[in-house]
Amino acid sequence: MATTSTETTTSTSSRLRTFVAWLLLVAVTVIYLGIDHSADDGGTLVASTAVTVSAVLLALVKVRIIMRELMDVRHAPPFLRRLTDLLVAVIGVSLLATYFVGQAIA
Amino acid sequence: MATATDTTDTSPDERVPGETGMWFFVLFESLIFTSYFCVYLYFRTQDEGAFLEAQSALRLPLGIVDTIVLLTSSWAIARSVQEARAGRPAAARRLAFVTIGLGAAFSALKLVEWAHLIGDGHTFTSSDFMQHYFFLTGMHAVHLLIGLVALGILVHQLADPHRRSQETIETCATYWHTVDLYWVLIFAVLYIVR
Repeated sequence: MATTSTETTTSTSSRLRTFVAWLLLVAVTVIYLGIDHSADDGGTLVASTAVTVSAVLLALVKVRIIMRELMDVRHAPPFLRRLTDLLVAVIGVSLLATYFVGQAIA
Repeated sequence: MATATDTTDTSPDERVPGETGMWFFVLFESLIFTSYFCVYLYFRTQDEGAFLEAQSALRLPLGIVDTIVLLTSSWAIARSVQEARAGRPAAARRLAFVTIGLGAAFSALKLVEWAHLIGDGHTFTSSDFMQHYFFLTGMHAVHLLIGLVALGILVHQLADPHRRSQETIETCATYWHTVDLYWVLIFAVLYIVR
């Protein structure tokens, strides 16, 4: 009986945690609308380093939430947790470095 | 010393969700996509004006809806896995069908967006930005279709206790999450980056 009660609590808490993760992902997606408007000049798109960096960083936050919470990496062994964190870092560094190097060359 | 570290790092409840091979695939493919994003960003910085002009043809609200639909499908499949783990295959199956429905809705929205763009004269060859746009969204669509097949396998597994394998269910779910993960990055670099 006690085991069933614990299982139910765990199940409810997992369900809630997954829902909160989804809510956060949607909230971060909606933030993009604000960022987008801040960069536009009367309907014409304008270049913006701040918007580009924010877009990449917010995407990385979302990728990590998806991996940790929805793909259940938080319950995975340390090697997978570290490997996925390393992947997020590699993606971020690669994208931002390419952007800044490209700008410097241009 | 090593034993002490291992003991603090690892708990008996820790396990790889799905097959390990799928995780190698996810990591490898993520690097391939990242390489392509880097190529896109580099070319973008070399001709920002032309890229911004072509980018203005995209409909951001539609991209936001696309993203939310796919994120919701990821939530549904994560819940499906939780239900399957808890020994409730019927609920898991229902959530898998919700995921398939949302995947199909995403595909339909993408087709609508492509039709609008092509109708407005934006094609694969009309500009460098559109070349990248159609290539990346096309590659993503291929991954999504494969993901729908994986979800079909998942539903098939959940239908019969004799062929049900939690590992296969989690592997299929991991693939579907990867489709969502790639879209999150594609959306940021194509729709938002300025």
